[in-house]
Amino acid sequence: MSLLDWLVLGGTLLFIVGYGTWRTRRAGHTMDSYLLGDRQAQWWGIGLSIIATQASAITFLSTPGQAYDDGMRFIQFYFGLPLAMVLIAVFAVPIYQRLQVFTAYEYLEGRFDRRTRTLAAVLFLVQRGLSNGLSLYAPALVLSAILGWNINLTVWLIGGLMIFYTVAGGTQAVAVTQQWQVGVIFTGMVVAGYLLVHYLPADMGFTEAMQVAGSQGKLNLVDFHFDPNDRYNFWSGMTGGLFLALSYFGTDQSQVQRYLAGRDITESRLGLLMNGLVKVPMQFGILLIGVLLFVFYQFNAPPLTFNRPVHDQVAQSAEHGPSLRALEDKHCQLFAAKRAANTQLVEALRSHDGSQLAAAQTQVQASNTATRALRTEAQALLKKAAPSAEAKDTDYVFLTFVLRYLPQGLVGLLIAVVLSAAMGSAASGLNALASTTVVDLYRPSRPHLSGSHCVQASRWATIAWGVLGIGFATFAARLENLIQAVNILGSLFYGTILGIFVVAFFMKSIGGKAVFWAAVLAEIIVLLLFWLTDIGYLWFNIIGCALVMVIAACYQRLAPSSN
Amino acid sequence: MPTPSETEKPPLLPSWRAWYWLVLGALAVEVGLFTYLTQLFAS
Repeated sequence: MSLLDWLVLGGTLLFIVGYGTWRTRRAGHTMDSYLLGDRQAQWWGIGLSIIATQASAITFLSTPGQAYDDGMRFIQFYFGLPLAMVLIAVFAVPIYQRLQVFTAYEYLEGRFDRRTRTLAAVLFLVQRGLSNGLSLYAPALVLSAILGWNINLTVWLIGGLMIFYTVAGGTQAVAVTQQWQVGVIFTGMVVAGYLLVHYLPADMGFTEAMQVAGSQGKLNLVDFHFDPNDRYNFWSGMTGGLFLALSYFGTDQSQVQRYLAGRDITESRLGLLMNGLVKVPMQFGILLIGVLLFVFYQFNAPPLTFNRPVHDQVAQSAEHGPSLRALEDKHCQLFAAKRAANTQLVEALRSHDGSQLAAAQTQVQASNTATRALRTEAQALLKKAAPSAEAKDTDYVFLTFVLRYLPQGLVGLLIAVVLSAAMGSAASGLNALASTTVVDLYRPSRPHLSGSHCVQASRWATIAWGVLGIGFATFAARLENLIQAVNILGSLFYGTILGIFVVAFFMKSIGGKAVFWAAVLAEIIVLLLFWLTDIGYLWFNIIGCALVMVIAACYQRLAPSSN
Repeated sequence: MPTPSETEKPPLLPSWRAWYWLVLGALAVEVGLFTYLTQLFAS
């Protein structure tokens, strides 16, 4: 990173944090003001907050790498989201807004009883508390690997700035900073996409780039074949993806708090619907950058592995270094053949000669198969030589391109994109953790507390959860495959929480005792299924939700008088 | 009883139902477009 990059990065982050803190310097005298920004948010602010909360740093690090490696089929995961936005706008928003609640779980006490509210709040706190720490750790891991930054310092930098403005201005500070963060994110991604097209071979247009990618299976946007073991097809998106979106946007306080801050039902609904309209095209754009990266690396030599630190560590080892160098020599030869085959493919596409096109495609596929086999062999070698290191390198693809090919100043902007996304999503989580701790656990047993005392308690809860998240993130470096573990953890709890809310909204005859024990039993069954079967974790959202509904209905029927 | 803001008309479109169909219609158009692109570039 050059001096200009540091100036752009530092200037961007400090401006956003400084402006957000200054704009909200008078916020936070009452609980309404501190936790919900006096319920004055407009639809566009709510929409931007919802987008910034969902888009974490890993969205911009992993998603392009995923498209580079696996094509665009990941987009199907989001097909259930617009439908979920409509369902939440129809059923959940009027209830939350009419009751003027601070948290989603507060509603459960009025509908059922306090222990059901506490159960849902605790499930949320466990799941979000862990994943919030991870959303700091994941970008710090990649940035430390590529830029050589100290991982703990990076975690403290992101976490410290985020705690500072979240404690100072509460929900309003989170919302104001998110509006600027989304602006930085969109600017950075548009610039990266434009430069990628600009860096393609001089005589190659965008359409030809898409044809090169499509002929190699990267534009696999929609697959209508039903396969329960395939995470990304149309049907898994419309079922598993729908239930995940319903759980996340309808019952996770880090999202619910964004639209509870709306001025009225109209503003909250429009904010959610804005997300429903924007999300799929936005993911398409991010995945498209990954596909353009793939085409770029058909004509510019990619490294054998994008995870540079692991590569360097193994290259220096006396035992495995020579094997790695031999693989790299082979990789260079393969790349020369692949570039020639792709050049022939482009010429065949221009000449519209069917036989020439078929021959070129056969050659490209053969070189791709050989390259993939070589990369698999290299990853196995890296894993053998450095067992504790992450051999999978898709998270590093986009940032490696940024650092190597983008001009000075823009590198700083793209690093600011990653850090802005990390802070934007983690700040919402932190804000929600503090709200739930005070509103659902601390205040109910202390009804005499004043509003100003609760605001102070919320500030301290924000600091406590922030420090806990940073502590977890620094500890996370010692645990392997932690990111996937926490993603799975989310799915294990989300289904049960969604089930409680579905019963609350739609099964009016069921009381608190039935739903509480149904939720406890459903959670135990979900955990047993997780340990004893190999069901894909996306399905646990549906299983958990269905179990709560069925068990609660049976309990109510068998023991109606006990409710 | 619904509150006034629940029954009032949304901005830009005549009803909430129109807004919901707009979001779902946009999804249908996106899926259709993506299906077309998948088939176009797979051949």
